[in-house]
Amino acid sequence: MTTTIPPTTTLAARAVGASKIYGTGDTAVRALDAINVEFPRAQYTAIMGPSGSGKSTLLHCLAGLDTLTSGHVYLGDIDLSTLSDKEVTRIRRDRVGFVFQTFNLLPTLTAIENITLPLALAGHKPDQAWLDRIIDTVSLRDRLEHRPSELSGGQQQRVAVARALVTKPEIIFADEPTGNLDSRSSAEILGFLQRAVEEFGQTIVMVTHDPISASYSNRVVFLADGHIVDELLDPTADAVLGKMRNLGGE
Amino acid sequence: MWKVTRKGLAAHKLRFVLTALAVVLGVSFICGTLVLTATIQKTFDDLFADINRGTDAAVRSANVIKGDFGNDQRANVPASLVTEVLKTPTVEAAVGNIQPYAQAVDKNGKAIGGNGPPTFGLGWDPNPKLNQFHLVVGRPPQADDEIVVDKGTADKGHFTVGDEVTILTTKVPKKYKLVGIAKFGTVDSLAGASIVLFTPHEVQRIAGVNNEFSQISVVAKPGVSQTQVAEDIRKTLVADGQTQYQVITGKALTKENQDAVHKALGFISTALLVFAFVALIVGMFIIYNTFSIVVAQRMREMALLRAIGASKRQVLGSVIGEAVVVGVLASAIGVAAGIGLSIGLKAVMNAVGFQIPGSGVVLRPNAVIIGLLVGTIVTIISAVVPARQAARVPPIAAMRAVALERPINRFRRLAIGGVILALGLLTLFLGLFGSSGISFVGLGALLMLVGVFVVSPLFARQLARVIGVPLTKFRGIVGSLSRENAARNPRRTATTGAAVMIAVSLVGFITIFAASANASIGSAIDQQLKTDYIVTLKGGGGPGGGGLSPELAKKISGLPQVAASTPIRLGAAEIGGSKTFLAAADPEAIPQLYDFNGVAGSIANLAPNEIAISTRKASSKHLKLDDVVSARFVQTGLVPLQVGFIYRNNTLAGDYIISLASFERNFPPQDQLDTQIFVKLKPGVSPVQGRAAIEPLVAQYPNSALKDNAQYKADQKKQVNQVLVLVYVLLFLAVIIAFIGIVNTMTLSIYERTQEIGLLRAVGSSRRQVRSMVRWEAAIIALFGTLLGIAMALFFGWAVVRALHDQGFTKFSAAPFSLVFIVVITGLATLVWASLPARRASRLDVLKAIDQN
Repeated sequence: MTTTIPPTTTLAARAVGASKIYGTGDTAVRALDAINVEFPRAQYTAIMGPSGSGKSTLLHCLAGLDTLTSGHVYLGDIDLSTLSDKEVTRIRRDRVGFVFQTFNLLPTLTAIENITLPLALAGHKPDQAWLDRIIDTVSLRDRLEHRPSELSGGQQQRVAVARALVTKPEIIFADEPTGNLDSRSSAEILGFLQRAVEEFGQTIVMVTHDPISASYSNRVVFLADGHIVDELLDPTADAVLGKMRNLGGE
Repeated sequence: MWKVTRKGLAAHKLRFVLTALAVVLGVSFICGTLVLTATIQKTFDDLFADINRGTDAAVRSANVIKGDFGNDQRANVPASLVTEVLKTPTVEAAVGNIQPYAQAVDKNGKAIGGNGPPTFGLGWDPNPKLNQFHLVVGRPPQADDEIVVDKGTADKGHFTVGDEVTILTTKVPKKYKLVGIAKFGTVDSLAGASIVLFTPHEVQRIAGVNNEFSQISVVAKPGVSQTQVAEDIRKTLVADGQTQYQVITGKALTKENQDAVHKALGFISTALLVFAFVALIVGMFIIYNTFSIVVAQRMREMALLRAIGASKRQVLGSVIGEAVVVGVLASAIGVAAGIGLSIGLKAVMNAVGFQIPGSGVVLRPNAVIIGLLVGTIVTIISAVVPARQAARVPPIAAMRAVALERPINRFRRLAIGGVILALGLLTLFLGLFGSSGISFVGLGALLMLVGVFVVSPLFARQLARVIGVPLTKFRGIVGSLSRENAARNPRRTATTGAAVMIAVSLVGFITIFAASANASIGSAIDQQLKTDYIVTLKGGGGPGGGGLSPELAKKISGLPQVAASTPIRLGAAEIGGSKTFLAAADPEAIPQLYDFNGVAGSIANLAPNEIAISTRKASSKHLKLDDVVSARFVQTGLVPLQVGFIYRNNTLAGDYIISLASFERNFPPQDQLDTQIFVKLKPGVSPVQGRAAIEPLVAQYPNSALKDNAQYKADQKKQVNQVLVLVYVLLFLAVIIAFIGIVNTMTLSIYERTQEIGLLRAVGSSRRQVRSMVRWEAAIIALFGTLLGIAMALFFGWAVVRALHDQGFTKFSAAPFSLVFIVVITGLATLVWASLPARRASRLDVLKAIDQN
C-alpha cells in the first residue's frame, strides 16, 4: 500500500504570467494580472486576500475549471491552457480533487457512491485498502449508506474530502471548504486536510478568508487586485491576521 | 400582480414555448377538422344544388330502407308513371332515370375507380334543364353502343373520342364507342365519381329492368312554384289511385341530399375531433406538469411575494394569469395553424382526385371560437392545481429553506385514485356489456387512465428503479444516476409518464384489437371456409363501388372442374323492425363451401320464403326453428320469412342469410351484384388446373380477382391493417405531444439541477456522460409510461374483444411482437428526442453551474 504520491517533479502546479480579464475596453476588470506562483508537492498552501482580489479565479484557473486570458497554468508538467475540454475533464477526473464550499455531493447518491464517483466515472474499481484508510481517516464508516440529506453539514464536507482523496490526485483544490460550517466541524475538516498532507504527502491548495483556517497550512499566499502581494511560511492565525490588516482587508 | 405574471412569462420563455406547443398542436387539429369539414360540406351543398338546379319536383317510391349515410334504397317506379305525371297541367317535362352500376375499363385492362367514390351509369337526358352534363367534345350518345364519359374518367383512362371502351355492368362486359366527353357543371368529375352516360334505352338494359326508373325528375311550367307543381302532381296521382309514390320539391330533394352528406361528414368530423381531444388530453398532462414544476421552482419567489404583502388570491391570480396568456396565445396560433393545415389537406385531396372546387376554405366563426375556447380552457384547467399550490406557500419559505415539494399523501391518493379507477371500470363495462354504447366505453377508459395517473406517483419511484436495473448493470455510474434521477421525483415522473401512458394505451389497444380481428378472421377462414378459390371484388367495393356481374358466377359454376360454387350477395333490409345487413348464397352449393356449425334445420333446403339466422340473433330475438319473422325489403315491402336454419359461425357469414332466389325476388334488378364467389374444385382437380380453368373467366371481368384461401386471408388482413394504419396516423399527434412532455420535463429538471451537473463536470464527468445521463433518464420516464400504457392496452383490448365475442371476435391476440416493438421504439425514440435537453445539459458552463450558490 502506498501512502505517498511519487513525485515526478517537485512542483504540483504553477502559474506563469497568468492573466484573466473580464469584459473589454473601459469596463475591463483584471482579475489576475500576470501572476507567477508555484505550489510544491506535499505542501498545504492557503490563498488569501480580500473579496475581489482574484483568489477564487486563480483557483478555478489552476483547476482547469476556467481558462486564462493569457499566460499558462501547469499541472505537474502539463500546460492546461493547451488542452481541449475533453482532456481537461479527464485531468480533473483522474488527477485533481475538489472540495467546494457548498453543494459538494449529488443528492441521489449515497455517501460511499459520492466518494467513489470520480472512479466510477472513469470506470475504475476503487483500491479497497486505500478507500478503507480514507473512510477511517474521515470517520465515515457508519454513514456510508446514507444520502447527503441524511448527513450533517460537517459530515457532508467529510464525504467531499474523502471524494477528493480517493483518486490519489496530484493536487486537491479546496474553495472555502469550511465556509458554511460551525467552528467544531471546521476544525475537524481542516484537521483531515492537514493529515492528508502530513500522512499521505497530498498537495492541497485552499482558498479561504479565515485566518484560523489559513493557520492549518504550511504557507499562505496573499492576493490583492490580481497580484501576489505577500507570502507567509508556517503561519499562525495572528500572523495571518496581521498581514491581512496591512492589505486593508478584514 | 399583472407585472409579476408578465415578467414570470418573459423569464421562462422556453418552458412556456414547450407548454404552448402542446396546446397549439391540439387546437390546430380541432380547428383544421372543423374548417375542412365545413369546406367539404360547402362543396357538397353547392354540388347538390347544382345537380338539382333544374328539378322542380321529384317522384319516387315511398318504400324506403334508410341508409346510414344517405345511401337510401328505394323501390323502382314503372315508366308508365312518367305519363301519369305528365297529365298534371302545371308539369312542363318529366324524365325518369336510373343509376345502375357501370365501370369503365382502361386501355391496360384495369377497371377505373371502384375504391371510394361511386362508379355508375346514367341515361343521357335530352332535357337541358335536368341534364347537368356539358359536352366538352363530341356529341351525346345516340345508339345503344355509344357512350359519353365524364372528363375525370376520360383523363384517368386516357380516352379520346372515337375510342372503344369496355364497360362493366350487371350484364356481360360490353364494348362501346366513346362519342363524347362531358364536364359536370364546371368540374371534371362529380366529387370523384366515375360516370358513364348511355342512351336511356341502354341504361334500362344494363340495369336489368324493363321500363323502370328509380326516380322521375319534373320541370314545372314557367311561373309555377315548386310547392305548387309538387302539390299538383300529388293530386293527379291520388286521383288515379296511385298512393304508393312520394312527391317532393326540388328544394326538399336538395336538402335531403345535403343532410345525408352532413350526416356522413358529421361522422367523420366527430371521429377526427375525438382524436383531437385525445391529443389535447395528453397535452393537459404536459401543461399541468410544466406549471407544477415551474411553480415548485419559483416557490421562494412566491413566498417572497406573500411576505411583502401579496394575498393568496393575488399569487393564485398571477399563476392563472400566466395560464390565460399562454392559453390564448397558443390557441390563436393553433387556430391559424389549423386553417393552414386544412388548406394543405384540401390541396392533398385535390391531388388524389377528390376535387373540391373553388380556391378558398370555408372558415366559419365557430371553428375560431371553439378552437380559442377549448385551447384556453384546457390550459387554465391544467394550471389550477399548480396555482393553488403556489398560493399555499407560507411566507416564511422566503426566509428559510423549507421542503418545496409537498409530501405525497398516500392514503388520500390511493382513495381518490381507487374511486376514479373503479368508476371507470364500471362505466367501461356498462358500455361494453350493457346497452350504453361506445361513448361509455370511451369515458370509462379515460376515467381508468386518470385513476392510474392519480395512483401512479405511489409506485413511480419503485417502478422507475426496476426499469433502471439493466442500466446500472450496463451503464455503470451514469446508469445509476439516470435511474436515481428518474426515481427521485415520483410525481413528476408519473405525470410525464401519464401523457405517454395515454398515447401508448391507445396505440397498443388498437394494435391488439386489429391483431384480434385478424386472428378471428384468420381462424374462421382456416376452419370454416371449405373453398379452394374465392373470386373477390377489386378495390373492396364500398358504397357505390359496384360489384361482380352475376354472369361471372354462372360461368364459373358451369366449369367442369368445379364441384360447387356460389356467389355471395349483400343487401340491407329491416328484420323484426330494425335495419340490418343480410347475405345471400346458393343454398344447395353453400354447405360444401362453408361450415356453418348449424344447430337446427338445414341450409341446403333453405326455401325462398325462409331465412337462416345466427345463434346470437336467435337468442337475442327469441327465435327458434320454424318461427316467422317479418322482413321488409325495398322492392317487395313486408315479407314474412320462416326460420329454416340456425348456425353458430357468424364471423364470416354474418347474422342473416337468405337464398339467392329470395334475394333476386326482394331486391331491385340493378342491385343484383355479387361481392364474392366461393369455389370448390372437383376431387382430382389440382389447384393449378383449377386456377387455369377459372383465370380466363376472371380476366374478362377486370374488377374481379381470383384468390386461394391463403391469399384471401392475406387480403382480409390487409384491409384490417389499412384501418390500423389510419388510426396510427390519427394518434400520431397525441404521441408527439407526449414526447414533447418528456423533453419539457427534462429541460425543467436540468434547469433545477444545474449545480449537480456542474459538480459532476467538475469532478470529471465528460460532456458525453452528462448527455447520456439525461437521455437515459428520459428513456426510463418514457418506458415507465409505456409499460403502464401497454398494461392498460392489454386490459382494454381484452375487455373489448371479450365484449365482441358474439359478433365474431372469437380470438384474443395480445400482439406480443407489436407490443415489444412499441416498447423498443418508444425507448429508442426517447433516446434520440432527448438529445435536445441532453445537449443543453452538457453545454452548461461548469463554473457558472457551481457558482450558483
